[in-house]
Amino acid sequence: MIEVKNLVRTFKSGDRTIKPVNDVSFELEQGTLASIVGKSGSGKSTLLSLLGALDKPTSGDVVVNGVSLASMPDGKLTEYRRRDIGFVFQQFNLIPNLSAVDNVMLPMEFAGVRKAARLARAKDLLEQVQLDPEKHVRRINRLSGGEQQRVAIARALANEPKLILADEPTGNLDEQTGDHIIELLSSLSRDHNTTILVVTHDRALANKTDRRFRLQQGRLSEEPARTRVGAAAPA
Amino acid sequence: MSVLARSVGNAFRNKVRTGAVVAVLAVAIGLALSMLVANQAVAAKVTELNASVGTVLTVNPAGGQGFEGGGEPLTAEQAATAAAVPNVTGVVGTKALRLRNATEAAAQSAAGTQGAGTQAAGPGGGQGGPGGQTTTTLTTSLTAAVDAGTLGNRNQAGEGTTGSTGTTQPARTMSLPITATGTGAEVDSTGRALEITEGSGLGDYTAESTNALLGTTLAEKNGLKVGSTFTINDQTYTVAGLFDAGTSFGNNALYVTLPSAQTLAELPGELSTMIVTVNSMENVDAAKTALQDALGTGKADVTQGQRNLETAVSSLGSVKNISFIAFVAALGTAGLIILLIMVMLVRERRREIGVLKAIGAPNRTIGLQFVLEALVLVALGSVVGAAVASFASGGIASALISSNSTTAAATTTGRGMPGGAAGFPGGGAGLPSGGPFGGASQLLTTVTASASPGVIAAGIAAVFGVAIIGALVPALLTARIRPIEVLRGE
Repeated sequence: MIEVKNLVRTFKSGDRTIKPVNDVSFELEQGTLASIVGKSGSGKSTLLSLLGALDKPTSGDVVVNGVSLASMPDGKLTEYRRRDIGFVFQQFNLIPNLSAVDNVMLPMEFAGVRKAARLARAKDLLEQVQLDPEKHVRRINRLSGGEQQRVAIARALANEPKLILADEPTGNLDEQTGDHIIELLSSLSRDHNTTILVVTHDRALANKTDRRFRLQQGRLSEEPARTRVGAAAPA
Repeated sequence: MSVLARSVGNAFRNKVRTGAVVAVLAVAIGLALSMLVANQAVAAKVTELNASVGTVLTVNPAGGQGFEGGGEPLTAEQAATAAAVPNVTGVVGTKALRLRNATEAAAQSAAGTQGAGTQAAGPGGGQGGPGGQTTTTLTTSLTAAVDAGTLGNRNQAGEGTTGSTGTTQPARTMSLPITATGTGAEVDSTGRALEITEGSGLGDYTAESTNALLGTTLAEKNGLKVGSTFTINDQTYTVAGLFDAGTSFGNNALYVTLPSAQTLAELPGELSTMIVTVNSMENVDAAKTALQDALGTGKADVTQGQRNLETAVSSLGSVKNISFIAFVAALGTAGLIILLIMVMLVRERRREIGVLKAIGAPNRTIGLQFVLEALVLVALGSVVGAAVASFASGGIASALISSNSTTAAATTTGRGMPGGAAGFPGGGAGLPSGGPFGGASQLLTTVTASASPGVIAAGIAAVFGVAIIGALVPALLTARIRPIEVLRGE
């Protein structure tokens, strides 16, 4: 369970103080597929960085399964990112000179997983995201955008994180590939009880999540829930 | 993929840049290794010179050196007195002899008798020499390995004139004598160990023996090998070994044990020179004074061979210092190159570092990755640099030594070290081949700068040490990169 308590993040820009995240509070149950929508510059990515311990809040706290991120030293935050968080970036952020399978193996290497085990799991994950097996050993810069995003998702799943934070996961993809990615995230949430928080400005995508939040000028508000993608129709 | 494999992969990410970096590193590392090799070679030479020459004093009879001058011969009692002088660690007595080829000596003697009359004492036919030390002319079955040439004929003729009663002798071709030295230890007249190239030494140098050591050219001239025999005054000697003195003059010589030489000269207990070794260079001056006082200024002349080579040793010391400074500078340059390259790579890969941190890479893993990448580049540079050093170190050392020894060599070449068995006039038709001590220039140029595996390994270890330091700085910089700063661009 994730609890976000009165989260504030401010930046100085000349004489002005900007508050991309302004007193944000919410809770997410384990296994929830949620989305945050908002215009560009509304603070979506900043909020995601705070939840993923990439950045530190000016005030407030994020509590993950009862553990406060605010009180964690840097080493513990790194461990938190390694074990509990999976990031899917809009620009994929894969290591260009490594193969698809090597990229997926990286987080497992950092977690101390033995080589044979991480190779087997990396191949399995790449199959789950439906990457052609012959492309597993292909260098990232020889894969298409959709294929790279699948590798990025596989990498995010490598250490079986409790929370996946996806920043515009379909932003660089065509509609068909984007739909597939959403299906994939939804099934992960449903089948693996993984909490997934997607940041997007794509309302269609947001409509496919369990819970929808809107971020406007740093303030978060929740919108009414919709039927989940892939969920059984009500009787 | 392990950190090492990733580092190797990263090192070759941009092959053109990698090639350029390796080339620059190879130059710096090659220069560093060359300087280290030169430094080690010069250091070894300085140690050798200090050990063998710098601490040696030569004692000659007062007023006499070799076969020139006059005075009273040195005695075994004086050798014992010298050995008791403070800081003296060893005294080796020598007895100098001159040998003439028996056939030529007979012919020249006959010619001398006809031309100058019978000489009751002193040199007949230019053989005896004016000095009072070894008036006995010994004959041998050996033939001198050095042709008399212009200088030899002039020198021999000069001696003959000195010994005559003023009658001008007709010009004739002279044969050169052969230097024979009775020595109390396996050292030459300068106190340096004899370089025996074949066979063995003479064993106990303080006992009579019919074994002899021959200079390589003398042996070659007479077709002798180890085990061959020759005669001195009808006494048969066996060649126990061959030595290489490094000069034509020095190799036209032979060594027998001191008692053997004294017996041949029929002068038991008499010494031509004493080679006195002092315990350290610092004590040479004090020992020289004490030795002179102990032996008496009217009975012995004490000379300091070190003086002749002081400038040379000093010059070599300068080369050693210069090469060490250059080694450190080249090493520092290699470290700086690594530092700058790695700083550039860290800046270039800030985003990648941020991503690695975002997915949970610890700082030490990222730092280690960059250090290993630097070491891969250094390893490649070291391989090429070692190859460069193995070819260039000799030339660089020679260039350093020749540029620093020109003055020193000019002041020492041809001065020679007075005394002892080396005092015979030399031969040859042109310039003298240097004095009996060969001149410091020869010692300087005999510095052998070979790139030994040990020195190369030590140099490469130093390069790696510097490279690690150079790579640690940028590696530590990676720890300061916050993932959000580089990912915020999204």
